This record gives sequence, structure tokens and C-alpha cells, in this order.
Amino acid sequence: MTNNLIIGQYVPGHSLIHRLDPRAKLLIVFAYVLIVFLANNVVTYTVLSLFTFVFAALSRIPLSFIMRGLKPILWVVLFTMLLHLFMTKEGDVVYRLGTFSIYEGGIRQGIFISLRFLLLVLMTTMLTLTTTPIEVTDGVESLLGPLKKMRVPVHELALMMAISLRFIPTLMEETEKIMKAQAARGVDFSGGRFSERVKAIVSLLVPLFISSFKRADELATAMEARGYRGGEGRTKFRQLVWKPLDTSFLVATALLAALLFLLRS
Amino acid sequence: MAEPILSIEGVYFRYPNQSEYAVQNVSFQAERGEWLAIVGHNGSGKSTIARLLIGLLRPERGVIRLFGRPLDETTVWDVRRRVGMVFQNPDNQFVGTTVEDDIAFALENNGIPRDEMVERIHEAVRQVHMESFLEHEPHRLSGGQKQRVAIAGILALRPDMIILDEATSMLDPRGREEVLDTVRRLNRQRRITVVSITHDLEEAARADRIVVMNKGEVMAEGTPEHVFRLGGKLERIGLDLPFAVKMGSRLREKGIPLRVGYFTTEELVEELWTLYSKK
Ligand SMILES: Nc1ncnc2c1ncn2[C@@H]1O[C@H](COP(=O)(O)OP(=O)(O)O)[C@@H](O)[C@H]1O
Ligand SMILES: [Mg+2]
Repeated sequence: MTNNLIIGQYVPGHSLIHRLDPRAKLLIVFAYVLIVFLANNVVTYTVLSLFTFVFAALSRIPLSFIMRGLKPILWVVLFTMLLHLFMTKEGDVVYRLGTFSIYEGGIRQGIFISLRFLLLVLMTTMLTLTTTPIEVTDGVESLLGPLKKMRVPVHELALMMAISLRFIPTLMEETEKIMKAQAARGVDFSGGRFSERVKAIVSLLVPLFISSFKRADELATAMEARGYRGGEGRTKFRQLVWKPLDTSFLVATALLAALLFLLRS
Repeated sequence: MAEPILSIEGVYFRYPNQSEYAVQNVSFQAERGEWLAIVGHNGSGKSTIARLLIGLLRPERGVIRLFGRPLDETTVWDVRRRVGMVFQNPDNQFVGTTVEDDIAFALENNGIPRDEMVERIHEAVRQVHMESFLEHEPHRLSGGQKQRVAIAGILALRPDMIILDEATSMLDPRGREEVLDTVRRLNRQRRITVVSITHDLEEAARADRIVVMNKGEVMAEGTPEHVFRLGGKLERIGLDLPFAVKMGSRLREKGIPLRVGYFTTEELVEELWTLYSKK
């Protein structure tokens, strides 16, 4: 279980998108989330979709992986589509079924809104599929760097994030172990009445919490023993290198924004 | 005699809100390049001493000197750079997301420039034979491998001393040998002083000198030969004598003329099979 549930859903690779600086990817995705709202007609949605599909294709991630990431939200997309289909009353009536009428505007809105949603999710999944969580952490730390001047504990937050990432598999293993130990004592995790389920969960959480506190204490001691004394005067081993490639992707995103701005109605 | 690299004199320590001393009137020394074992039952104060030695705790009374200087706020960071500590639980001292990140951690803390870091990390993994694991995450390593990474993290700082606080007690026999072999090699080749805390006398038998702790006090100190003569006294404070020592003394009781001073099984075997030819 620990191996296929590895933090996030990173798919190792060496594609252009994998090689992008995590800061560039974060900026692109952040900008994209805003840019998406510029699209409001057939042309702009086509341009936006093209950009997104090219981006996804460049990542060379098998379609099956991407689909697996999108599956959970397909229902939401469908629901949004139907909602708009029936609720929007604009344009000509296209189809009439009893008291329900489907308007041309409804079809358009339904398709647009669900497409927008789909593209947003696709783009954000591209980030997690091509970037390791620790790279994301490094990227966030670097981007938020200027906030240090405003006394925001950026280094500490990033370290916290990195340590929790490091301990997720360890705690998962431990959870499994405790579950087995409790199951051997007769605790039933799979079924039973609600109150029994709650009891079972408590029998899992209490030992897990106690051991996590012990871990935290020992880890803090070990960190101090290794000379940790806060972010001051520290150098960094993990380095982010901004490449021309990163700049060109940012420019491409800016051009997309400009294009959508010109073409929107 | 050369000045000891480590000396502690008349040290007392109590944990906050405790009336009993966890460590009282403890004194001993270690010389450069020496392998010193500290043995004692659970709760005898071994870990407390380890923590005192690198300034994680401060003694209530007494003086700790390292590298000829007293340990205080002005020297503590230098001491933590020169003295590395390996703890018991392999998982709870692994800070980095990968092997190389973890080794880098102490280097980052000490403000080592990145280019030098890369060099030192490679040098360190080579010494613990973990070259091919640089990018591995901790959950893909065995306990022994994690402890070797911890040692590499110390080596990268080019230390003068390594303290092992029951560093092998959570490992399987193979992991234990891996770790001990690594430390032994470093001790011999690089003259790194080793303070090895353990309740395994089998492991302590290979030390140059042993300090025996009982209820926070030093009960005995000396070479393994000297300390193992205490025999039953050690067993009474909850320590288990090495098999070869027990066997040797039984054989002597039966009138077999064995020399004293055999602590490892191999040494005992050697003595037994050469016994006949010596006659
Ligand atoms: N954090 C602590 N707070 C209070 N008492 C402690 C703490 N750690 C250890 N002790 C007590 O100090 C004594 C020595 O403990 P320790 O040095 O851990 O022994 P050892 O490592 O030899 O097993 C024990 O009696 C233990 O209960
Ligand atoms: Mg201990």
C-alpha cells in the first residue's frame, strides 16, 4: 500500500514539463487559474483548450494516468453541465420535453462551464503529476522568499512541509501495523455499527498520536544534535535553476492571456 | 599522557521536576582514536550522558571538556559539528526526503557552500558504502542502511568523534554488523574517537575501554578484560555477559587451563583449538 500511494501522484519522467522549474510551473498554473476566466466564446475556448492539450501532451504522461486523475470529478462536470442545460433560459428553444425546455444558451453555457472546470483540473493535475512534492515545497519557499522580510516564517513553513512529506510513508506503515495489532485483539475496522466504528478508529488514533509525539520529540533532538538552529546562516542543498525554457513557458502563458483578451467577446 | 579529547568530571544532572539524579558524580575520559563503550541497564543514565556530551542538556554540577575546552554556549555549536551522534531509532533521525538530502542537512545547518556540499556528500556515502542509494527515500531503506546514512551525515562534517546511543539495538543481526563494521573501520582508519553506548556486552567486548553505569553512577571502568572479571556483579545489575566469557569461566571452573581474556566467540575458539598444540 505504501508504494503505490506515494505522496501525491507524481509520475517520474524527463519531459519538458518535468524539467520545468517548479517555480515556473507554480506561476503558470496560478496564472492559468485566472486566465481561464477570460474565455467566453467558442474561439477563446478553442484557443484555451489547444494550449492546455499541448501542455499535457508535452508532459508525455500516458492518457490513462491523466484520466485516472480526472475520473473523480467527471460527475461534478456532468452535474454542472446538466444544471446549466436546464437552468439557463437564453436564446432559442432547441428542444422541448413536457414542461422542460432546453435553450441554445443553456447548451452553450453547459459546455463552456464544464469545459472550464475540466481544463482547470487538468492543468492543476499536470502540476502534481510532473512535480515531486518536495520540488513544490522548494518552489513555494523560493516564491514566498520576499515575505521573509515581513517576518513570515517561510523557511520554517517549508521545513514543516518537507518533514511531513518525509513522514507520510512512515506513518502509513505505522498505521497499518497498529491496525493489524488491534485487529488481532478483536477490533473490527471493516464494519459494525457507527459507535463500534468510532471505537475502532479511536483505538487506532490514540497509539498513532502517542507515537507521533515521541517521533517528533526524537526528531527535534536529532535535528538539534546535527546543528540545526533555525534558518539563519543556513545554506541550501536543493537548488532551483531557472532556465531559458522556464522563461519561454512563462512568455507562452502571457501570450495566451493576451490572445484570449483580444478574442473574447 | 596526551590530553584527553573528552573528559567529564563530577557531573550531576536531574531532569526538570525530578528529585532523583539521572546522572550523579560521573567522571571518565576518552583519548583520541579510542573506542569507549558505556554499558548499563535501562535507565542507568547512558542516554542522559550522551545528551550532556553534546550540550543538549546542561549539567547541574561538574565540568565537561571536549577538545581541551569546557562545553558552554560559546563552544556548543563547534562541538556539535565535531561530534556526531547516532540515535536508537533509525526513522526518527532521518530528516531529509532522500539520502542525499538527509546527509546535506547538517552541512546546510553549518552554512557549507553548495559546491562543497556535493563533494562532501559523495565522499561520505562512499565511506559507508551507500553510493547507489543517493536518491532513495528513507522508506526504501533497511534499518541498517538508515543508520549508515546517519553516519554518513556525520562524516560529511569531518568529525573527530562519533557517539552511538544504542544505534544498533533496533537492527537485525545483519544490520548491526553493517553498522558496527562501518564504525570500526572509521575508528581504525581515520582515528575517529567512538563512544558507543549499549547494553550489549558482546558489542562492548570489542571496545578499548568500558565504563559500566549503574543507577546513574559509574560502577566500574577499565579494559574489557578488567571489567569482565566482575562477572556475577555485572549480571546482578542486569547485564548479560558475552557467551564466550561465560563459557570460558565455566571451562576454567572445570579445571581446563584457559588463559583469561576471551570475549568474542572467535577468540574463545582460537584459544580452545590452540590449547592442545601448546601443551
Ligand atoms: N525526559 C525525561 N524526563 C524525566 N526523566 C527522564 C527523562 N529521560 C530520562 N529520564 C530518566 O532518567 C533516568 C536515566 O535515563 P536514560 O539516560 O534514558 O537511561 P538509559 O539511556 O541508560 O536507558 C531514568 O530513570 C529515566 O526515567
Ligand atoms: Mg537510552
